[in-house]
Amino acid sequence: MIIVKNLHKSFGKHAVIQGISMNIPSSEICCLLGPSGSGKTTLLRLMIGAIAADKGSVQFDDVTMPNLALLHDIGFMPQNDALYDDLSAEDNLRFFGGLQQMKKAQLKTRITDVLALVELTAHRKKHVRDFSGGMKKRLSLAASILHSPKVLFLDEPTVGIDPVLKRSIWNQFQELKRAGTTIIVSTHVMDEVTECDKAALLYNGRLIAYDTVQTLLASTKSGKVEELFIMANEQEGAAL
Amino acid sequence: MMHLAKRVIKQTLNDKRSVMMILVAPLLILTLVYFLLGDSNYKPTVGIEKGALPEPLVTALNDQHITVKELSAADMDEPKDYLKNHEAVDAIFSMNGTSVAITLFESSTKGAKAMTEIQNALADVNPAAKLDISYVYGDSDQTLFDSLGYVFLALFSFFLIFIISGMALVRERSGGTLERLLMTPIKRSEVILGYTLGYSVFAIAQAILIVLYSVYVLDLSSAGHIGWIFVTMLLLAIVAVSFGAMISVFARSELQVVQLIPFTIIPQVFFSGLIPLDLIPYHLGNLCYIMPIFYGAAAIKGIMVYGDGFADIWPYLAGLLGFLAVLFIINMQAMKKFRRL
Repeated sequence: MIIVKNLHKSFGKHAVIQGISMNIPSSEICCLLGPSGSGKTTLLRLMIGAIAADKGSVQFDDVTMPNLALLHDIGFMPQNDALYDDLSAEDNLRFFGGLQQMKKAQLKTRITDVLALVELTAHRKKHVRDFSGGMKKRLSLAASILHSPKVLFLDEPTVGIDPVLKRSIWNQFQELKRAGTTIIVSTHVMDEVTECDKAALLYNGRLIAYDTVQTLLASTKSGKVEELFIMANEQEGAAL
Repeated sequence: MMHLAKRVIKQTLNDKRSVMMILVAPLLILTLVYFLLGDSNYKPTVGIEKGALPEPLVTALNDQHITVKELSAADMDEPKDYLKNHEAVDAIFSMNGTSVAITLFESSTKGAKAMTEIQNALADVNPAAKLDISYVYGDSDQTLFDSLGYVFLALFSFFLIFIISGMALVRERSGGTLERLLMTPIKRSEVILGYTLGYSVFAIAQAILIVLYSVYVLDLSSAGHIGWIFVTMLLLAIVAVSFGAMISVFARSELQVVQLIPFTIIPQVFFSGLIPLDLIPYHLGNLCYIMPIFYGAAAIKGIMVYGDGFADIWPYLAGLLGFLAVLFIINMQAMKKFRRL
């Protein structure tokens, strides 16, 4: 269980996250949904401890973040590919696995497994600079799940990806969930909400709704999650 | 830490341009500097009035490494105009009774060389005026490359490693790999040490190559043990990695690292020994103590020119170690910007 308590974060005078609280159960896919600038990436980075909150806390079970030891259990896939172009796919994975202090034999097996999972086995010796955008995205995912993390944070993992690959990536997320991984994924693509168990709707740094996807969709007239953002926009306009 | 160091080595080796910059570029520039500052064997041309100088002096002038050109009395009336219209002539030499006049085309090394040869000729005809010059270190046959070569050893070991490591660290940030690697249980100190260790391997290779090439191919003389030159260059290069890491915190792109060079590197060049520090007015020479290249260049000068050993150069090495400690603390603090732990 991930417990987010009253998180606040400002950059200068701009309040990016305003009092967000939520509980994310284990072995579920939870999406942070919202338009660009709503605070999804900042919330994600606050949750993994990459940046410090001005107020509030994040707990993984009973451990408060940031915690160095807990990083063994966390996988993170940033928005950009975050890979070394001058290294081969295998060398990239070997490096990130090494940083996770994986044993040599275990690392070797896992590299083979994750490359097979993201369908890059044939390209393992190829330099990343020769990869297409989609291949880089898949390798980036492989790097984030290499050490079999208990919690996986994915920042806009399907941006700029063709529909076929997008389907394949979501299938992989479902596979990881079945294996017991908790997945927190940020996205601005409203349709992707149906892939998740729970959704946190962010608007201007505030949590406007957080519930199971079925409940959220049932609360709308159109059955589309966009409606909740339109309502939030209207309420904000009225308040001004 | 070792994983990071290994990755830095592997990644740099896979980038042929970086390897060329670290290992080939310094040799190329050193060779160029060798020819630019070395003995060019230039033979200046000196104009004299035909029949106006005593015969022994004309003979003495002809015995020097100059080309003597005899000019008419009309040309000698306006020597400046003559030189303006005849650029191949470097100086005009004339005598009026016992007074000597030399007119030069411009203040340059060519003019200075012409003047030296005229002085030698005058000393030949009047041995009493001959100056007996001797040096504590070096001799009169030394070229500018012999006198200043050590500066370039220090500059290369600092500048090239600084550029490579600074750029790589900025790329690490802009590409998101820094954030990704900081989401692993690696400690901030291990990140800094891993980087330093990785680039130190190239610093060692570069130092060995530069020193051996300078001493055995370009014949740059070293009065002291070249082992101490390796040590100094290596230490200076390690400071360069830390300096690059610090600069990369203030730069968002590789272009910004380049934009910071006029503020960070170029001032250091002036305090590296190219200009004697006590000639700099308003005690500005003391600024050298805040510049790492000064410590490296001063130690290398001590070894190569004065034949110094560890007992003499240790304060400079201690200075570099001091920089390393300060930069390590700064970088540790700066890395908090990317991860608190």
